[in-house]
Amino acid sequence: MRLLDAPLVGKRRVSRDIWVLGFEAPAIAEEVRAGQFVNLGLGRGFMLRRPFSVYRATADGRIEVVLKAVGEGTAALLAMREGDSVSCLGPLGRGFDLGGDATTVTLISGGLGVAPMPLAARDARDAGKQVTWVHGARTADELCEEADGDAVVLATDDGSSGFAGSAVAAAPESDLVLACGPNRMLAAVAARWPDAQVALETYMGCGTGVCLGCAVPLVRGGYDRACTEGPVYRAADVDWSALPSHLHYAIA
Amino acid sequence: MTLSIGGVELRGPVMAASGTFGYGTEVPLLERRALGGMVSKGIFLKPRAGTPPPRIAETPAGMLNAIGLQGPGVDALIRDYAPQWAEWDFPVLVNINGESAAEYGELTARLDGVPGVAGFEINISCPNVEQGGMYFGNDPRAAAAVTEAVRSRTKLPVWVKLTPMVSDIGVIARAVASAGADALSAVNTFVGMSMDLNAFRPRLSFRTGGLSGPAIHPLAVHLAHQAARAVDIPVVGVGGIMTAADALEFLVAGCAAVQVGTATFANPNAIAEVHDGIAAFLAGHGFRSLAELPRYLPKD
Repeated sequence: MRLLDAPLVGKRRVSRDIWVLGFEAPAIAEEVRAGQFVNLGLGRGFMLRRPFSVYRATADGRIEVVLKAVGEGTAALLAMREGDSVSCLGPLGRGFDLGGDATTVTLISGGLGVAPMPLAARDARDAGKQVTWVHGARTADELCEEADGDAVVLATDDGSSGFAGSAVAAAPESDLVLACGPNRMLAAVAARWPDAQVALETYMGCGTGVCLGCAVPLVRGGYDRACTEGPVYRAADVDWSALPSHLHYAIA
Repeated sequence: MTLSIGGVELRGPVMAASGTFGYGTEVPLLERRALGGMVSKGIFLKPRAGTPPPRIAETPAGMLNAIGLQGPGVDALIRDYAPQWAEWDFPVLVNINGESAAEYGELTARLDGVPGVAGFEINISCPNVEQGGMYFGNDPRAAAAVTEAVRSRTKLPVWVKLTPMVSDIGVIARAVASAGADALSAVNTFVGMSMDLNAFRPRLSFRTGGLSGPAIHPLAVHLAHQAARAVDIPVVGVGGIMTAADALEFLVAGCAAVQVGTATFANPNAIAEVHDGIAAFLAGHGFRSLAELPRYLPKD
C-alpha cells in the first residue's frame, strides 16, 4: 500500500460518457493486480476519497481509471488539467485469483464494469489463458470502445449493437468467469455461475479496513469489507438480496 | 510531549479516536512515532454483525456513519488484539459498550488485568444502536450508574466519552465525574440524517447516522470547553480535527489532549501531521511544553 501524489498525464473518451484518466503512479503501477483499486483523494471540499478499480497499469509507471460524471467528485476529476495531482492510495483490496488451472476465461462487464477488465485480460493472458470478453451496455453509444481479448462479444439492451440482451445472456461457457457491473447483473452471474469471481462496487470510506463503511452482506451471515476481503468475491458468497439495489449515483 | 491524562501515560497529546483506527493493526501508513495513544473500536461482550449497507454518506464537510458497532466480541479481542497491544509503546484504551449497566460491568471485569489493556473509555453516547448507547448518555443518573458499574470492577483508568446530543453537557460531565471517571472524551458524533433524492428515502439504511468531520468542529470545541469548565478531571477533545490548528483550538479551549478520527480516513498520516504541527506551533511560540500553552478556561 502506497500513498503518493499522482499527476494527471492523460485523458480520453471511450464511450458517450465514459472517460479514462491516466495518472503517473509508478510504485502502484508496478504492484497492482487485476481487480485491485486505488482510493483517490481530491483535496479541499471532499471529505472522503473515491475508490476506482485500476483499468490499466503500464510499464512506464502510469495507472488508468475509468469514470463517468455522476457527482461532484467525478466532475472535479474530469475538470483536472494535465499536471494537476490527486492523492493516490493503493493498490488496495484483494483482486481476481487467476492462479487456477482454468484454460478459458470469460470476462463479463456491464457499463462502467469495464473498470477492472483490461488488467484482468492482461493478467489472464500472462497466465496462459484464452480470454473472451463480453461487454454490455444499454445502447451502442454507451459501449466502451476498448474491450479486447482473444474474442470480443458485445451486447446491448436495445439491440443497437451486437447481441440484443444482457451481457450475461451473451456470455459463453468457460472454465472461469470474472464479472463486474451493476449489482443486478452480478446477481444474474451468481445464479448462472456460482463460482464466478465478481468485483463489487460499494460506498467506501477509508479503503484500508478501519471504517467498516463498505460492508458486503454474506450468505453465511454478517458482513465483511469490500476494501479488504473484497472487492472481488465468489459470486455465490454474496447475499445479493441484502445489497442496496442502487448507489445514489448511477453505476450502470 | 509525553503527558499523563486521567491515569493514562500518553506518549503525546494526539490519540486515535475510537472507531476510526480499528484495533490498531489496520493503518499501516501512519508514522506511529506520533501516536500518543489509541482507543479501540467499540466492543461488546458478544460479536455484533453491524447494520446493513449503506453505512456511510458524505455530507458537506463531513460524513455520516451508522456502522452499528460491528465487532468480534470481547473473547476475540482478548485473543487476537490485546497480545499485540502489550508489545506496543503507546497505551490502548478499550472502548466498551453494553445494553445495561451490568453488561458494562461484566465487560470491564473480563478485560481488567488483560495485558495490553491500559484502561477503558465508556461509550455512553453511540447514536447508532437502538438499545443502549443513547439512553445512558442522555440521563445523568444512567450515565453515572454505568460509570459506577465500570469503576467498581477495575483499578485501571476509566474515561467516559460524552454524547453531544444533550441540552447541558455539564450536567452529564459532573455526574460521571462524581461516579469515578478519571477523564472525559468530548464529544462523540452528532446524530444526523441525509436523504437520497433518487430513492426518496434516507441515504443510510439505519436512517440516521453519526456526523463527524470538520462540519462538527466548532460545535465540538464548544461542548468540550463546557465540559472542561464543569469538572476538575481532564477533558480530551474530539470532533472534526483535520489539522494541528483544529487540535490546538481544543487545547486552548481547556482540553488536556485530543483525539483524531475521521481525518484518518482521508489521510492515513493525519495523526502524525497534527502531532508535528502542534510541536511546531509550541516551538514557534517559545513554549517548552504543552503545559505552557495558555488555556482559556474561566471556571463557573
